[in-house]
Amino acid sequence: MRRHLLSRLLTAGVLLWLVLTASFALLHALPGGPGAVVEDPRVPPAQRVRLRAVLGLDRPLPERYARFLAAAARGDWGISFSSQRPVTRVLADAAPHTLALGAAALALEFLLGVPLGVAAARRAGSALDHGVRALSLVLWSIPSFALALALLLVFALEWTWFPAGGPSTPGAAAWPLLPRLGDRLAHLALPALALGLPAAAATARFVRAALLEVAGSPHLVAARARGLHPRTIFLRHALLPAAGPMVELAGLSCAALLSGTLAVELIFARPGLGRAAFDALAARDYPVLLGATALSAAGVLAASFAAELLHAAVDPRRRARFERA
Amino acid sequence: MVGAGAWSHRWAALLALATVGCGGATPPSAAPDAPGRRWLVATPVDLAGVNELVSGGVRFSQEILRLLFLGLLEEQPDYAAHPPSFRPALAESWELSPARDALTVRLRADARWSDGRPITARDVLFSHRAQTSPEVAWSYADSKDAISELTALDERTLVFRFREVYPYQVVDANDGLILPAHAWEEIPFSAWRGSGERFRERLVTSGPYSLAEWIPGVELTLAPNPHFPAPLGRADRAVTFRVVPDAAALVERLAAGAFDFADGLSPYDAVRVARSPRLRLLTTDARQIDFVGWNASREPFDDPEVRRALTLGIDRQALVDALWQGRARVAAGPVPANVWARDPELVPWPYDPAAARTLLAARGFADRDGDGIVERDGKPFRFELSTNSENRVRADACVLIQEQLRRIGVEVEIRTLEIHALVARNEAREFDATLAGWSIDTTLDFRPYFHSSARAEGWNWVGYAEPEVDRALEEARRQGDAEATRPHLVRLQRLLHRDQPYTFLWEPQRISAARVELAGVETTPLSAFGTLPHWRRTAPAR
Repeated sequence: MRRHLLSRLLTAGVLLWLVLTASFALLHALPGGPGAVVEDPRVPPAQRVRLRAVLGLDRPLPERYARFLAAAARGDWGISFSSQRPVTRVLADAAPHTLALGAAALALEFLLGVPLGVAAARRAGSALDHGVRALSLVLWSIPSFALALALLLVFALEWTWFPAGGPSTPGAAAWPLLPRLGDRLAHLALPALALGLPAAAATARFVRAALLEVAGSPHLVAARARGLHPRTIFLRHALLPAAGPMVELAGLSCAALLSGTLAVELIFARPGLGRAAFDALAARDYPVLLGATALSAAGVLAASFAAELLHAAVDPRRRARFERA
Repeated sequence: MVGAGAWSHRWAALLALATVGCGGATPPSAAPDAPGRRWLVATPVDLAGVNELVSGGVRFSQEILRLLFLGLLEEQPDYAAHPPSFRPALAESWELSPARDALTVRLRADARWSDGRPITARDVLFSHRAQTSPEVAWSYADSKDAISELTALDERTLVFRFREVYPYQVVDANDGLILPAHAWEEIPFSAWRGSGERFRERLVTSGPYSLAEWIPGVELTLAPNPHFPAPLGRADRAVTFRVVPDAAALVERLAAGAFDFADGLSPYDAVRVARSPRLRLLTTDARQIDFVGWNASREPFDDPEVRRALTLGIDRQALVDALWQGRARVAAGPVPANVWARDPELVPWPYDPAAARTLLAARGFADRDGDGIVERDGKPFRFELSTNSENRVRADACVLIQEQLRRIGVEVEIRTLEIHALVARNEAREFDATLAGWSIDTTLDFRPYFHSSARAEGWNWVGYAEPEVDRALEEARRQGDAEATRPHLVRLQRLLHRDQPYTFLWEPQRISAARVELAGVETTPLSAFGTLPHWRRTAPAR
């Protein structure tokens, strides 16, 4: 088991290095060079040459790559070309917003998706099942940005039930704790819905399909033959075997939600990681882009690793495979 | 003046209930930042940094920094009839020597930083050292190239000495904001790049506002600076700039009345905003020119007659009508119509497809195979027109130009590229034609655009070279007075009109929107926020 974990950690490290190396190479291969600040066409060419030298961008690419890797290994991701702030600070400011949004969307996905999927599976073929399937298909088909705009127009601008954007009300930092917390949650509601509803739809369909697949399996027939209570049969013999794939799904969802926050953060003006990366890409702010890529890749790897461990915890077959490995 | 919108009242009531029994917490409605206390402005971008020498940033950043810091003088937008004048800012007076080789500047006695310390010659000297430091590498340091020396005669008097006499010495001496020596001097120039946080921590300001709060990516609040000289007009209210990066969301929220003001709207946004009864549109000339540049190093664009034919084949008035809906005018040359040096006799080439076809025929182009595209030496007249994908007006213009040129037998392939990729391609001269634009500054120094020497280093991407144009540009630079450059600039415009290295398309307007009850707002090409301290509300907010 320990060897397996070490091997997975090593693989994650290699994957992270590959992602960073590929990102570094791709960014430097893009036409236009690094940094809108450096490459601003309004700046006289001679001055741009001077600026590139000050920022170390005139050095050979292999040297810059070696310096980048060495600094990254020390946790130093450099200075943002645009804001002149340390990249770690830029990302540290943005990460809580994305984590809060991702966590809220993930909670929504499973708190809504799993019960709906279970209900649809238990009443397969009923009006409820058809309704859940139709609704989930519709929600699944709507891109997050379109749903975000629709939610914004209806619930924030037309009905004014929720705030229209930003992480909080201007000046809310001076409010007492509870109103401040409530204000944050109110600002989180629509973005979380925009991100979480399509994911909940997908989860509902996944759970329904997984439960229906095990519905006719021999161990359920045996359980019924033993006269077990239907609820016991469902919870212990149907839902529990499906829990493993659901945990894996949660890991995948974390990755998808991380990458899916961009449009929602833009529309709802939330200063998260997706928006930081988007702004950095627009400005060709390489240090921030590479830092955001590393953080995102590390997040995906961590989520996938955690899901694998959880899967092993709930599924003895998977645990046994780990131990054999 | 508004707060967070109607939602806040409902939620505030609920949240106030939640605070009952929490130890006398202040309800949100009574907080100092409650709605109604400050102006709320929407912006698609954030402030890049508080030190203009290292933070770069787009127009918004530059305009915000001018609310925080003063320069020596303030250039006025009165350049329609004569070169722009200046009014006192940190300097109360200034004088060029009779030989025009020295500029003496006298600082005002009541100028103070926001911490109460006086602004002195030391600050001006420090700013100049920073502006010209190779370690700082300020993007616009070339404006100081002609200044040989800056000396302080006393605490309030400084003398700029120039290496040469030229028309915009005062503009160059005034370029850049005056920075606080006592606050930032401890940070070595070699560490300025990367010290964004330190500049912010030690920020003191000289403008009408100080920085009250800045949450990067979220909002920026400016509060009135109590030490700002009263004769220059103090602000009495704070202003919050809220970042809304998505254009569609910004416009919808603006139309719903969530903000007092927004600047930098596109003509498409303007249509949506104009439908809102809560808002009024504000427009002013943007002092910008958009154009199609023809790569003169490639055939057939090396032929002025062909370039003129293409200009005649583009219906620029139709472009302006369709894309800008009256919020732009057809351009005739590089000097906008509202700038003093514009040649009054210059008339844009008309839309005349018949004349265009005749000109092309005279240059050997004819549709011999009947496919609707003219050929010469067996090669169809087909070229690529590139522009930046982020600018929807330009991308749409490419489609209309494609259709218009097809009518004179020319086939256009459109290529939209991300802005940095487009600039890289243009600088490498790897294009046939490119639709781009320039912001025109009031020095009207066009050498970097049209001089033949700027083909190697400069913005003469199209590779235009005309000795007469070079002479006009050099003559203009040799004048000691901006007004004296007029005949040379007129000659330049006529030569460009004749040769058409660029088809000048339009001069757009800067579009902003303000709530109907907001008075005192005046946008200019220099700033949307120049009158911010004087904004006032004329009727109760809804």
